[in-house]
Order: sequence, then C-alpha cells, then structure tokens
Amino acid sequence: MKTGLFRFLLLAFYLAGPGAWYASGQQTFPRNGPYDERAGLYAFTNATIVADGATQLTDATLLVENGYIRDIGNNIAIPRGAVVYDLKGKYLYPSFIDLRSSYGVPEAVRSENSTQARGAPQLESNKKGIFGWNQAVHSERRAAGLFVTDEAKAAEYRNTGFGSVLTHTPDGIVRGTGALATLADEQRNTIVLRTDAAAFYSFSKGSSTQNYPNSVMGSVALLRQTFYDADWYEKGGSRQERNLSLEALATLRPLPAIFEAGNKWSLLRADQVGDEFGIQFIIGGGGDEYQRLDEIKASKAPVIVPVSFPDAYDVSDPWDAEVVTLAEMKHWEAAPGNLAALEKAGIDFAITSHGLKKRSDLLVNLRKAIAYGLSRGKALEALTAAPARLINASDLLGSLRKGLVANFLVTSGDIFDEETILYENWIQGKRHIMPGTGSPDLRGEYDFLVASLPVGKLSVKGSLRTPLYQLTLGDSVTVTPGITLHNHQLTLTYRVPGRATGVSRFTGWVRGNDIDGSGELPGGERVSWKAVRTHPYVKPESRSDSLKPPVIAPTVYPFVGLGLEKLPVAETILFKNATVWTMEDGGMLEDTDVLIRDGKISRIGRGLNPPAGSRVIDARSMHLTPGLVDEHSHIALFAVNEGSQSSSAEVRMRDAINPEDVNIYRQLAGGVTTSQLLHGSANAIGGQSAVIKLKWGETPDKLWIPEARYIKFALGENVKQSNWGEAVKVRYPQTRMGVEQVYYDHFIRAKEYEAAWKSYRDLKNKKGAVPPRRDLELDALAEILNGERHITCHSYVQSEINMLMSVADSMKFRINTFTHILEGYKLADKMAQRKIGGSAFADWWAYKMEVKEAIPYNAALMAKEGITVAINSDDAEMARRLNQEAAKTITFGGVSETEALKMVTLNPAKLLGMDHRIGSIKAGKDADLVLWNDHPLSVYARPEYTLIEGKVYFSREEDRQRQQRMTAEKARLIQKSLDAKSGGESMQPPQSVRPRMWHCEDIIGEHAEHHDHGEVHR
Amino acid sequence: MNFNIYTNRFLLFLICCIAAAFRAESQNPAAAPPQTKPVALTGATIHPVSGQPIPNGVIVFDKGIITAVGDSATPFDKAGTEIIHLPGKHVYPGAIAMASTVGLQEIAAVRATLDYQETGTLNPNARALVAYNTDSEIIPTLRSSGVLIVQATPQGGLLSGTSSVFHTDGWNWEDAVLMKDDGVWLNWPPYIASSFNFRDFSSALKRNEARQEHIDQLKRFFSDAKAYQALSDPQPVNLRLHAMKGVFEGKANLYIRAEQARDIVESVGFAHAYGIGGVVIVGGREAGKVTGFLKENDVAVVLNEVHRLPDHQDADVYQPYSLPGRLLEGGVRTALSYGNESWRVRNLSYQAGTAAGFSDFLSREEALRLVTLYPARILGIDQLVGSLETGKHATLIVTEGDMLDMKTNIVELAFIKGSRTDLDDKQKRLYRKYKEKYGQ
Repeated sequence: MKTGLFRFLLLAFYLAGPGAWYASGQQTFPRNGPYDERAGLYAFTNATIVADGATQLTDATLLVENGYIRDIGNNIAIPRGAVVYDLKGKYLYPSFIDLRSSYGVPEAVRSENSTQARGAPQLESNKKGIFGWNQAVHSERRAAGLFVTDEAKAAEYRNTGFGSVLTHTPDGIVRGTGALATLADEQRNTIVLRTDAAAFYSFSKGSSTQNYPNSVMGSVALLRQTFYDADWYEKGGSRQERNLSLEALATLRPLPAIFEAGNKWSLLRADQVGDEFGIQFIIGGGGDEYQRLDEIKASKAPVIVPVSFPDAYDVSDPWDAEVVTLAEMKHWEAAPGNLAALEKAGIDFAITSHGLKKRSDLLVNLRKAIAYGLSRGKALEALTAAPARLINASDLLGSLRKGLVANFLVTSGDIFDEETILYENWIQGKRHIMPGTGSPDLRGEYDFLVASLPVGKLSVKGSLRTPLYQLTLGDSVTVTPGITLHNHQLTLTYRVPGRATGVSRFTGWVRGNDIDGSGELPGGERVSWKAVRTHPYVKPESRSDSLKPPVIAPTVYPFVGLGLEKLPVAETILFKNATVWTMEDGGMLEDTDVLIRDGKISRIGRGLNPPAGSRVIDARSMHLTPGLVDEHSHIALFAVNEGSQSSSAEVRMRDAINPEDVNIYRQLAGGVTTSQLLHGSANAIGGQSAVIKLKWGETPDKLWIPEARYIKFALGENVKQSNWGEAVKVRYPQTRMGVEQVYYDHFIRAKEYEAAWKSYRDLKNKKGAVPPRRDLELDALAEILNGERHITCHSYVQSEINMLMSVADSMKFRINTFTHILEGYKLADKMAQRKIGGSAFADWWAYKMEVKEAIPYNAALMAKEGITVAINSDDAEMARRLNQEAAKTITFGGVSETEALKMVTLNPAKLLGMDHRIGSIKAGKDADLVLWNDHPLSVYARPEYTLIEGKVYFSREEDRQRQQRMTAEKARLIQKSLDAKSGGESMQPPQSVRPRMWHCEDIIGEHAEHHDHGEVHR
Repeated sequence: MNFNIYTNRFLLFLICCIAAAFRAESQNPAAAPPQTKPVALTGATIHPVSGQPIPNGVIVFDKGIITAVGDSATPFDKAGTEIIHLPGKHVYPGAIAMASTVGLQEIAAVRATLDYQETGTLNPNARALVAYNTDSEIIPTLRSSGVLIVQATPQGGLLSGTSSVFHTDGWNWEDAVLMKDDGVWLNWPPYIASSFNFRDFSSALKRNEARQEHIDQLKRFFSDAKAYQALSDPQPVNLRLHAMKGVFEGKANLYIRAEQARDIVESVGFAHAYGIGGVVIVGGREAGKVTGFLKENDVAVVLNEVHRLPDHQDADVYQPYSLPGRLLEGGVRTALSYGNESWRVRNLSYQAGTAAGFSDFLSREEALRLVTLYPARILGIDQLVGSLETGKHATLIVTEGDMLDMKTNIVELAFIKGSRTDLDDKQKRLYRKYKEKYGQ
C-alpha cells in the first residue's frame, strides 16, 4: 500500500516535470502585490558545455526551465517562448559547491555565565531543555532551522563561481545537520534544496562554556561516549531518561557525516573514531595532507580540502628570519602542490573556499595548484561532481545533466585560464551577472583622432580582465591613460609628461569596433574624438619557461626541519669491544661485542664475527647501555590534562600523540627510547597513558605500544586545585579528605557497573532487557579492578599516599607505581610490602608546599627498602639527561652505579610491564640501545648512537650532517622567498607558531603561577 | 663529622624548644664561628682554578685568608696549624651562583615566601640586601653541593632592583653579605615576544609591539637619573633616581636581562649612551650570534640555565649545552647561572660539566672557571674569591671527586672565609631520620 502510493507520487512528479514542483514551491507564502512567477524558459546555444570533469560538448545547447535543466545536447529544438542566449565562443560549467560553509546561519557566540566568578568552572551544561549533559553536543541543531539568506555573502560566493553550499553552524563536537542551499537571491524556503543533507562533527567544543571537554582526548571521549549513549538510548535507555540530544543523534546517523578536522593528525584521529562506529567521515582537512599521503589514503576518508596557501615569509633580515621554522618555510613551498599530490595518490577529495583570506582567491589559487600539477578535470570535479557525490546529492547538483538544478556558469573560456572572465552565474535558473563583466573586449590597435585629426595611436593589450592601455602621441610621447569602462561607456584622461598643459579629458562610447566621443582639452576647448580600430588584438605566444612545473623539495617525516626523507630501517649491527652495561645478572661486561639483527639483540660475547652485510661499529672505550626509559613524560602531546572533572578515566593520551614534537628527536639525542606519556595531574583519576617508543618520523599508531595499559591517578595540591586561584574552589574535591571519597565513590560505581554487566551477560533470555549503558569511564576503572590496567599515581605527601594504599587494599585493586612520590621515603616499608614501585625526581623540591620535605635521598631510601625505583623527568629538557639525574642517586644516598643506571632503564621498564622486551641487554630483547662516548652516568657522557628495534634513530655523526643539510635547505628556501618578494608576491612578516611544552602541572587555561615569575615582558 | 652530628642534635633540641614558641623553620645549623687557628689541607688534589691542578697539594689559610698554596713541599708552621689530611680528595674554590633568587624565595608556589619582585616597573631602589633570608632552608642544601657564594637578585618590571652578593652561611644578612648593592637589574624589552594562544595552547613569536614604549620609558628614566646624580642637594629627594648612583659612578654593574641578539646589541648601546661602564648581559640565549660585538665592547655574559631546550625547533639539539664553550672561544667573558628557581642552584656546577661534555672547545678546567673565577671577575670580587691563591679568602670546598660531575661531587668539607661551615641541612636530617627508622 505504502509502496504503491510512493510509486504513484514518483510517477506524478516525472509526468509533471521538475518545473511544476518548483513553481509550487512558494504556495504557502502570502504575497504583497501581484504574482511575478515566470516560465523561466531559457536556451543557451552554440556554447562549449563542460558538463562535468570528463564530458565536453561543443556548439551545444542547454535548455533550462523553471530552475531545472530540461535538456542538454547538440540537436536540441528550441521551444517556443524560450529566451535564447547565443553563447558562441563562450563556455558553460556546472557552478561550484562548497561543503564547508556557514552561509546564512548565525555565528554561535560563546556567552560567559555572568553569575560566575571569572575563571570559575562550569561543571554542567547551561542549555535549557531536556538535552544531554554536555553543552558541546548540538545533535538537535538543524542549519535549516536557523537559515536566513544573506545577499552580501551570497554574492561573494557567486562571484567566485559557487552556486550552492552545504551550510551548518560550525560549533561544537556534534554540530547537527547542514542544509544544502543554493546561493540564489530568492525566498529562503525555495533555495534550501535539502534540509538535513549531512551531519557535522568536530573535536572543538566551540561556544560551549562548560569545562568538559578541554582537551583533544576529552573531545574524542565525549564523541565516543555520545555515540554509545545514543545506541543505549535507542535500545531502551529512553525508558530511563528522556534526552533530546540522543534522540536527535539517532537521526544524524544515516546522514553523510562530515568531520571538521583542520589538519592531518586530526584527520587521521577522526577517521579512527569513525571506524569504531562504522562511520566513514568525510573530513575537512587543513591543506597539509601531502605530508601524510599514505596514511590518509589508507584511511579511505574523502577529504574536503582548502586552497589557502601561506604567503612567503619576508626573510630579508637574517636575524628576524630565524623566527621562522624550516617546516613553516617548507610548507609555504609545498602547500600549492597539495591538491596535485592528493590527485596523484588517488585520494577522493572536494575543494572548499573555507580558510581563504579572500574568497575571490579561489580560482587564483587553483590556477597555482594546476601549475603544480593538479589536472583541470580533477579541479573541476572537486568543485562540482565530487562534493555533490559525497553528500549523495548528485541527483540535484554537480554536473550539467537533464533534470538537475540549473546551476551553471557562463565564462569567456576555460575556467582555469587566467584570462577567463566569469560573466554569469545562473542559480536555479536565475541569471546573476558578475559585476564589472558587462564591458566589451576593447583589445586591439586604434588610430586616435581628436577633432578628426590623427594625433596618435591607442593600444589596448593585456588580459580581458585587466586590459593595459597605452597612448602614443605624435611619434614619441607615450603615456598610460587613465581609463574607466562601464558597459559601453568609457572615460579616458591623460597628461602629456613634461608639459605644464594639464589633463585632457575624454568621454566616449563603443560603437562597433570603434570608440566615439567628446572631450575637453586642458584649456577648456571642447572637441570630438574617435578611436578607430586598425588591428584586432593578437594574443602573444606564452613564454615556455612559465610552464615549467615548480620545484618542491621532497616531504620529510616528520614534517619538521629535523625530519628525514627516508625513515631508518632495522640493520644488522655488531658493536665491537664495548663496555656493556647489561643490567642483567652478568653485570657490566668489558671488551664485549653485541650483535643486533631483525630489530632484536641477537648475541652478546667476545670476538663475535660480523655476519655478511652487517655494519660494524668500533665501540672501544665506549659504553653500551639499554635505551633509557622515562616513566613520566609529557612530550609529544597535543594536550596533557582533561582535568575538568575529578575523574577523566575515559580519556586516552593516545588520542593526543603529536609525533612531530621535536622533543622526540632531542630525547633520542639524550639516549631515551621509551616514554610513558601521562595525563596531567589536574584530577584524582586522570586519563589512560600512552607508552611510546620514540620512533621519530612514524605516525602515532606506530609510536604507541598498546600492550602497556596504564592510567594516571593524582593526589595533592593539583587535584584539590590549591594553587589555581580564588575562583577555582568549586570542583570536588578541595581537600585531601575529599580525594579519598572520590576514589571510593568511583570504585564502588565501577563495581556496580561490572555487576550490572555481568548479570546482563548471564541473562539466558535477553529479550526485552535493556543492556547497561556502556560507560567509557567505568570501563577503565573496571579494567583496573580486573588487573587489566595499571595505576601510576602522581603523589607527594605521605598522608595521601597512605590513604590511596588503604583505599586500594579495601577496594581490592593494585597500585603499580607512585610517580614523583616525593615523600615515598616516609612510607617505603608500606610500599615495599605491597610491591608498589616508585618513580621519582632525583632532587626536585621547594617549588610548592607539598614538596617542602622532598629529599634527594628518596630514591636511595626506597631502593634499599626493596622498592623498584625509577628516576623520571616530567620535563622535556630533563629527559635529555636522565642519565645525569640517575647519577645523582650515587651522590645522594650511595646507590651503586649499576643500580643507578637501572633506575632509568630496567626499573622503569619493569614499572611499565615492558621488561620482557626492553630495559636490559639480553639476547632476544628489543635492540633499543645507546652507545655513549663516556661512562653513562658521567656528566660528560653523550650518545654516539641511539637505536630502537635495530634502527638508528640518532647518531652524532648523522646529526651533524643533518644540521648541515638543514642549513643548506633553509638557505635555498630563503632565496626562494626573496625571489617571491621581488616577484611581487604578498608576503608575511617573519613569525612562528610553536606548540606548547607540557608538564604535569599544566592545566588547560591554568598554569601553576610559579613558572611565570620574572617574565613580565615575555 | 661525628662532631657535627652531635652539635646538630644538640642544636636541634635547643631550636625545637624555641620553635615551639616561634617558628618551625629555624632548624638550620648555626653559622660557623670565625676561624681561630691556621688550617692546612694536605694530600688532596688542589684545583686553584687560576692555574693547573696540584696533585697531593697543600693549602694553608689563617684568619680566613689563604697564606700558602702549593705542592706537598710547601712549607708552613706545622706545629701551630690544624692539619687535615685528605688523600684522594679534591679542593676547589666554592662555586659562585649569580643571578639567583636564593634567600628571596622559599617555596615557589607560596606567595608569602616570595620577596624578589616589587610592584611597579621602575624599582632600582628595591634592595635584595635587606630581604635576604639567611634562615632559608634552601641555603644549607646549596653549600652541601659546593655553592658558597650567591648573588641574590630582584626580578620583574623594567628595573627590578639592586642585587647583593652573599655567603651561603651567616646569622643574618649583614653577617652573610660579601658585597652590598653590587648592581642594578634591567629587563630589556624583547624584540620578538612570545604570545600565548589560549585556544590551541600554542605560542606565537612575533615582533613586540609594546617594545618602543618601554624603551622610551627607560630613556626618560635614565636621562633623569643621570641628571639627578649631578645635584648636590636634590629637591625633592627621589629614591628611585638616587638608586642609580652606583651604576653611573661605575661602582655597581648594570645587569641587563636580554636574550635576543638584537636586544643585546641595542641594550648595550643604550647603557653606553649614558656612559655606563659595567654592563653585564644576563640570559644571553643568542649571545653566540654577537660574540664579536660582546668582545669588542668588553661586555660580560651571565648565561641562564645551560640545562634548557634549544631556542628553536631547527636548532642543534645541543645548542644550549655548547653555548658557553662558543662564547669563551669567541673571547667573551662568561659565567653560568641557574635562573630563578633557587633550589636548583645546587646543580650549578653540573651545568659547567655538561658544557664541557657537549662542547668541542671547552676543557674541563676552563669549564670550572665558569662557576668560580669568571663570575668572581664579573662581580668584581675576584681579588677576594673565585680561585685558590695566596691572599684570597679561604672560601673553598673539599670533595670526593670531580666537582662538575654529579656522580662525584660529594662535598665533605666547606670553608667560608676560613670558617668551617656546617654541612648539615634539612634534607640530610630527614635522610638520617628515615635511615634510622628502616635500620638501613
């Protein structure tokens, strides 16, 4: 029955034709004045029609009726009553579509809650209505519900060649739906072609004033949790609570999903989130995709790519120029080649005008991209058919085909030619004439006659868009006259140089090939004048050198100055005659050889023979140690604290890994090979750690060691926010008493959660039963209870350390490591009893109240009580000399040299549960090694080689060469920038943006005050 | 050493009795009494710093002054001298930590314990001298690692205040001070400033737009201050202008905090335009770019942390480590400091060690001077301290091994102007307490 009706309606639609549907579009609206509906029947004849990127018709006709394409082809009969436009010599293109637009929707404005003290946290959403708990989730938002036309904005789009946009409110993690609207100057109900054309998402919380999320890993967690919640809601959760956000999310799920990412890492992260929920996001990129083509290709994500290219840096002053990083200059050089690289890699993409300083730069920049190798067909496709296809709107837009919306461009030639003029932009069958294009082509050579006397020659050359005029008076005097041209009316003025006669002024009009008119000479005499065309314009041959493809240096991995074109590979290496610090029972072995192959330590012994093809490193008088392991690090992260709630167990630091942080390389240069990237210490239960190997140049996934499953807990002043200022006294807990309650409360909930799942899983008949709501936070806590995730707890004073141990005892979970553990020496016996490790600073103290009893003998005291002790950094600089920090335990407490070195190798490996792979030199373990030029605990020692899994990631010799290469590369780019400057390109002053360096004290938006003293002018 | 422990326990008992009524911090050892009897240290390797190390050397001092330094044959009155035989040990001059907040800062996050930054921007008259807290619990930990002289310096504003130089022992600031009001501290507004973006937590490096305004403010102040010094009976009296007297008379240094090459060049030119002679650049991250300029103008540089990250993403990863060596190679008078976290000053000497380890030009002997003789020269106290020479103060330490290496810098004895300093500190007391608890 239903199907039958649908078929009938469909048939009716086809019979009536789309035009009838269009004409009835405004029936519900009352009119002021008589109706002005027109048939809208137009025929465009003799045109070159580029129907799509692959199809071009010549001398063809396009027939438009009531806003739709009625027909297209070479032998089309012109119906009676059609307005005919002869487009001989002109081109028709489908008009462009922009998928990343906020046209016509109001900007979401962040409104600070006036009832709150400045800086005070907002823990709950301040949205009215029964929406979800988080203010950054706007699944219910529909762009169509907010849409108004904006003629000025529409004109700006149209003048660039756009005919339609997918518009949405670019605000929040879940942004609601976008509406597909044309840019016609018409009543808004008729120009929205599809109300809910796509769903939008991002990692940015936008206008939300709620604290959560305040980090990228928090955004990921919120998005994941929201998807899980919607699923639960659908499966019966709606019987427990009513939630409009979750209801709306269910309606978003079937729509094409667009994710605003903005850069390559965000793009890959978004794709991963999509994979978890079976969503293939279409991803808004940042124009840096060429830097990670393989991974983006593998993600299968279509990308919406901007064409904004950075200006060259004005590097005229050598000192000022040093602010600019090599990566920034390399990006300047390579960015115009991004689209060509995407095309070559076979990545599906659409082009957007989003991000352009001026929208009118679109075609200018695209021409540049074409010069860099982008094909014209692909460029057109990415502006038309591709965006239509990506949002399943090929039945409406994207090409010139029978039945589609009549959105097309009339141009003077190939749209990507510099000289081409865009004359008209037809939208829904309505003509929009582009400003300043109604003037005739005056190019040619003319005789210039004043009062019928030949006084000189007028020459008009240059491009159709910007003609160049030259007036030669008599035989020798050449002037550039001032010309303005409006339609067929012309004003011409000139002053003869060197004479005090003044300005001659002429007005005129185009008549056929000539110009007639009237003028006034400087003395006031009125004259008639005339320009008679003698020769038509001849286009000069284009110079061949301008066709040479521009040079772009190969991409480096990672994309920073210290990156490499080719990543290291695992080698077979024999270290000869080294002093080998095995960290195993054998102790320190003098004059010993170590062979590594296939990424593993293969043999240790004396007089080993090098296998064929191996590299032999003479390590005489040098020291070979395991790669250093940093138990507590915050390098290589885009964010460190979620910290907006007292527990953020659901967040994962792996979502925030920044593999391009130069500190990775710097730490390799200090012998570090493995680091635990911890969440910060802003809350009692932090986030899930990412243990990484410092594989410089690889992607986050390849750095990350999934088997090391850890989570950060924290105690003390940061958790109770004691140094965050007076406004921040809201979030629970504010005392060490409250911290205990947070732990009890969360673990009790986790147990109940586990029990609820267990009873659901045990149900024989699940029919009608609502599964418990999957809670990512409680999942992580349940993993702790089940021994599947291990706690590293930031800890200072003994009372709180004792407290957590007793909470753990009574709730039956284990604490793996106390990190910082400044007063561990006061409870060493209790920690040893529970086999809890201690990962400490060597000598930090006195920077805040809770460290006033920190002592550098801490590590020694703990170690002697039988605790597995590590020395960590929590600091990108200190991690470069962890060996020096370990050496301090010899001075402070008389730890033996071997034990001291274990504190930065085997012991942290044990604390990370990785000692089966790393931390000592033993056959079968990962070949993560450092060769030092001196005793590894000496202040004078520096690494000669640092290897991870048999790959040389740092060598002193290669590092020197790398510096020289960088100097040469920078010099090349500086010369190129200066060429750009002398070529008149727009420039930017030397400036640089550098990512934040993190410590665990850092809180988003807050920073422990003591770091900033004495820096008033910085 | 047993003697010390006994004394300390007794003292501790006494102090605790007092503390019950007053304040809990007063647990530091008593300041050492003046030297009463000549002392000779024998058998150790002596590092005079001004010359080559002397294995199995002898150093004799009386009434705080070194009377003899030499090899084992050096004659001295063996009967009237306390001889401390130290075979295998090393004797060094005490390290000198410039540009510190020692004595002005106790617990960085607790405002009540901070006394290094006065409000306002032009505060040359704010004197570290009178705020230096000899009872700081940090100070004893510094002598424990060999730092015997510190320069306490005000921070912040354009003119932060006036520094003084102290021993790391003494009953009160008058007792501890070695050189009063040694210099005025100027923060030169940087050419390129970093601005923080709270949206994406990045920082941007851009031209500092407020810079000229600050420089103009400084010009007005220096012009007025110079004119003020010419008045015999200034009316009205202006403490701020008066505080510049020493700088204009060449009796105090002008310490200019400047990091960028452009700022170094410009600020030195600024000081010279006012006829100021004793100019010292503090910070000097980019001093390596202008070594010729610094040498020509005889401007000294006190580097901030050597243990810091390179200035630039593309910089040589060891750039800060090798900078001291590059400056010395370029003929620039250089010393090291440890920035403004007072507790870290105890690691001062290791920066010199790192500088030697990571530089191709810097010998370990020369590195040692970066924390002894060279800061003494810059401070203008090298006739008193900074090296072990006859006639200079017996301000020295005895260590287990190399003073620049954390692995061996175990300070066993310290003498400040001949007075044998108590090397106990709060951290050692806690160490003993818990060693005892665990029976270790």
